[in-house]
Amino acid sequence: MLNRRNFLKLGAAAATTTVAGGASLNAHAVKDLPDWGNKGFSPTTGKPRQAIPSACWQCVTRCANIGYVEDGRLVKIESNVNSIRTEGVMCAKGQGAVNHTYDPDRILYPMQRVGERGAGEWKRISWDEALDMIAARMKKNRDAGTPEKVAFHYGRMKASHSKTIGGFFKAYGTGSIGNHTALCEGGKWTAQELTWGGHYDNWDFDNTKFVLNFGSNVLETHTNHIPTAHRLLWAMAEKGVEMVTFDVRFSNTAAKSKEWVPVKSGTDGAVIAAMINVVMSEGLYKGDGEEFLKYTRVTEDVNADVPTKIAAIKAHVKDYTPDWAEKLSGVPASKITALARKFATTKPAVLVSYRGLVCHYNGNEGERLAQLLCAVTGQMDKPGTRMKAVGAGWKFPKIPKAKKVKKLDIFDGFPGQVAYPTHHVAEMVLPMIKDGRNGRPDMYVMYCWTPTYANGHVGEAIEILKDEKLMPFVVSVDPFYGDSTMYADLILPDTPFTERWTAEDMVDPAQIGEFYIRQPFTKPLGEARDFSDVVFDLAKRLGVDMGEAKSHEDFVRLACENTPGVKEAGGFEYMKKHGVWHDKNAIPQQQVYNRPVPESVYKAKGVALDEASGVYWKPASEEDTKKGYVATKGAYKKYVAQKMPHGVFSGFAPDKVNKSGYLELWSPLLKAKGFNPFPTWMPIPEHQKMGPDDLILTTFKHATQTHSRTMNCKYLAELYHTNPAWINPETAKARGIYDGDRIKVTSAIGEMVTKARVTEAIIPGVVAISHHCGHWAYGRYASGRRAPFTDEERGDRDFKFKWWTDNGVHPNWVIPNAPDPINGQQRWMDTVVKVTRV
Amino acid sequence: MTTAFAPTMTRRQMLKRVGAATASVTVVAAAPITARAAKQEVRYAMVIDTRRCSGCQACSVACKAEFEVPLGGVRSWVEHIEVGKFPNVERRMLPRLCNQCSEPPCVEVCPTEPDKATFKREEDGIVVVDDSLCIGCAKCLEACPYDARFMNPFKGDPVKTKGNGVADKCDFCMHRISQGLQPSCVNTCQGKARIFGDLNDPTSAVAKLVEEFEPTVLLREKKTKPSVFYIGAEYLEAKKDPKADQYFRLDTHRNERSSKRWS
Repeated sequence: MLNRRNFLKLGAAAATTTVAGGASLNAHAVKDLPDWGNKGFSPTTGKPRQAIPSACWQCVTRCANIGYVEDGRLVKIESNVNSIRTEGVMCAKGQGAVNHTYDPDRILYPMQRVGERGAGEWKRISWDEALDMIAARMKKNRDAGTPEKVAFHYGRMKASHSKTIGGFFKAYGTGSIGNHTALCEGGKWTAQELTWGGHYDNWDFDNTKFVLNFGSNVLETHTNHIPTAHRLLWAMAEKGVEMVTFDVRFSNTAAKSKEWVPVKSGTDGAVIAAMINVVMSEGLYKGDGEEFLKYTRVTEDVNADVPTKIAAIKAHVKDYTPDWAEKLSGVPASKITALARKFATTKPAVLVSYRGLVCHYNGNEGERLAQLLCAVTGQMDKPGTRMKAVGAGWKFPKIPKAKKVKKLDIFDGFPGQVAYPTHHVAEMVLPMIKDGRNGRPDMYVMYCWTPTYANGHVGEAIEILKDEKLMPFVVSVDPFYGDSTMYADLILPDTPFTERWTAEDMVDPAQIGEFYIRQPFTKPLGEARDFSDVVFDLAKRLGVDMGEAKSHEDFVRLACENTPGVKEAGGFEYMKKHGVWHDKNAIPQQQVYNRPVPESVYKAKGVALDEASGVYWKPASEEDTKKGYVATKGAYKKYVAQKMPHGVFSGFAPDKVNKSGYLELWSPLLKAKGFNPFPTWMPIPEHQKMGPDDLILTTFKHATQTHSRTMNCKYLAELYHTNPAWINPETAKARGIYDGDRIKVTSAIGEMVTKARVTEAIIPGVVAISHHCGHWAYGRYASGRRAPFTDEERGDRDFKFKWWTDNGVHPNWVIPNAPDPINGQQRWMDTVVKVTRV
Repeated sequence: MTTAFAPTMTRRQMLKRVGAATASVTVVAAAPITARAAKQEVRYAMVIDTRRCSGCQACSVACKAEFEVPLGGVRSWVEHIEVGKFPNVERRMLPRLCNQCSEPPCVEVCPTEPDKATFKREEDGIVVVDDSLCIGCAKCLEACPYDARFMNPFKGDPVKTKGNGVADKCDFCMHRISQGLQPSCVNTCQGKARIFGDLNDPTSAVAKLVEEFEPTVLLREKKTKPSVFYIGAEYLEAKKDPKADQYFRLDTHRNERSSKRWS
């Protein structure tokens, strides 16, 4: 892979060369200034700054970065120019992380609550006291045979952190481990697991010729943000690639698109369904689509031939006409038809989808329809299309699980509420605890998790967290005094990521996989400790075996020494020096599904064919064979290959659910749960009952903030600290609302007052309020409130110059917790509200 | 091209009027600006291709951290200009910084004697502030038509500046470019919308772009001759006032404290 950072090309006329991975080069490099980063100098003394390669953690993208240290102080963060993921560029959020370390409201010592829960009265205790307290509870529960009553709930925990921290709790014996993915985009992942197996779709902007975007604000925020976003910008600027964006709101992504298509909230799926209709009725599936359909299941019969499959799809989508979709979505039928043709005939083209499509009642089906549109046009898993993503495959040390791991069934929603909660149902965890039918934790540990701020129905979350009868003992592991931390009984001062070790693995748009590590820029301040080190101490107290590693740094070292490739490159020492490594001879991954599998593999001993699904698998017992592949718990782990009419292939291997090795668009799993096995348009119940005064509340993210963890960064808060509600002039006028007016937003669960931003950049009939703002804690930059045990400036000379007082509002006070019935995704975009002038 | 200063120089040395490369002893600030421009070897310039800018503000934060710019102060920022009528809306991204004018009005008004605290460097055209000379009068803030300057309370002699701090602004990251390193806003830019180099070198990227695109400058009518150029921002020079008959919204985080804008 060539790194493109030194090359600039402007204007379509100049000659371009395409090399492996689609990098485009320019004849005239900027020769004047050869250095693009990985070094820095002090503007006051001119002295070189110490440059430490590490990795970001502001958002889940986790870009490789470089921290610059001057006199022992972290002063600047930039991208690592040797990263094939970021190619040396970075977002505002990543750079703003420099503020975390010296946040004057950072927690530096273990703190124990002494007053009422939430009253902000604390006393400083020692680490020994804090860990003894936790170990005593854990011992008590283990001795009582109830280790599952120790619940660990995290917001983000990735790569080696996931292995050590998650590993510790499983080694202790609790499987009561929650996450927050349903609040992000877990529903998209489930829909992908139901169709093509393991999640993460990479959008190959390096090689694409057309981008069709349903509800992704990829240029401002994304799961793999900068690695994909900069590639998109370059593709648009250098190759004239056009993007069409469907969104209710004119995001910066829509602004950079060739065309913004405003779409009624929650109806993107209908538009996609109609596009499939156009493709099928106009024969645009011929060629690539027909070829791809060989690897696709769209009928109950797994041995169906392609003509049968085409007939089945045609029959299924025949009523999804562009005229039908126009009535639902407000998008003109002619536009739907034209874009369907353009997507089907521009080769290759990539279909992009995100929360605008998936954070709805019908989100699972929206994403499945998107997969179907890609399938029938053959725009899938090959260069320039939507591809199965590749991350680094570290060889981590093993931490043995306890013989018996028990768990409380509180992480997947109420019984019958969600069909396939493969990423759990974070928004229902507190309500489940309140309900109590499936038990309650004796200890609830929050790690990088703020249930009061991140879930819907904030008021209820606070009530539950404050209630000592429901939550006897709450531990918060946090570097900052957050909106949930304030309701804890015990606070363990975590390090911000700027002081941590991690072996990292986020996916690489170059389709190769980049290995990279996070290492501390500076020593932890005060007595802060990375929780992934703390668990080693807890393990000692509890006699839990953590395997070979002695600390998290040691764990990362072992990963570097044991992982093929990284090891030969120089292992831990190499990674500490360079931060990133990838195999320069690797061939970018594509078309994982059509590799013929030799007989020696699928006819090997222990491998059997499951006739109903066509899956070759390794059933563990006679009983498994009798139950069959689909009905056997965890059978997907025993998948070997897929039998298709034209041979036996690698297929789209399953993950988390027992789907076949086809791209499964006729899903026996969904049929078994009473849903249409075919991707289907599902109207949103709340939207069917809307009155003439009602509006749909939608949420969004801004380019300079992550959802809930960056408002304490002063440089970012200065840029974005208040979030007036976006409302179209026509919608506003009908309510007597003018720009800047105070307005009341009322939903079924409550009301809130904010300001109106009357703008042409939003569709009528909705009101859009961003996340990020309206903190009631999280330090003085975020909320104006300092952490109760911090009263000095801690060297932050800036605080007296904070010039804003409006910290915005948090929309989650009026958004109920409401999971997608198929996958549990929190439905951020479905809330019906009334908006009035105050 | 030649580097304007030796790689080991400190900022104090950079600001000295005696150019290291030429060993000239001309008192630059006293000479007329046009005369100096004539013998200028290097003219550092930035071309901003707004087509490649997504308004992400990475440049704003990069600059803030690079210089530990106090809250309320800004050396580099991005304006978002929304125009049109639903659904035909446009949002224009306009990255902003000191224009490093060839005819800088800020220098003209600087009252310090005999040497002006703010002056244009002979070697490369960068307009700089000498913190040790600045008296904190803020006249240059008023004179700048681009609102590119702010008072930095963390710098300067508190007695000399009467506690006002000194005038501060973008200096094209002199401490980086002197080491062959791209300016801080340039190397972070995900769209590669900012291109930096020597306009006097016809083989440089900036020279070629200016030649090819004849880019726009801000407030051409002020005759300041900026060294910051914009591609894809022709609307800036359109005769028609964008606010005249349609929806117009300018968004900048500086809105709340600053009334002076590009238009």
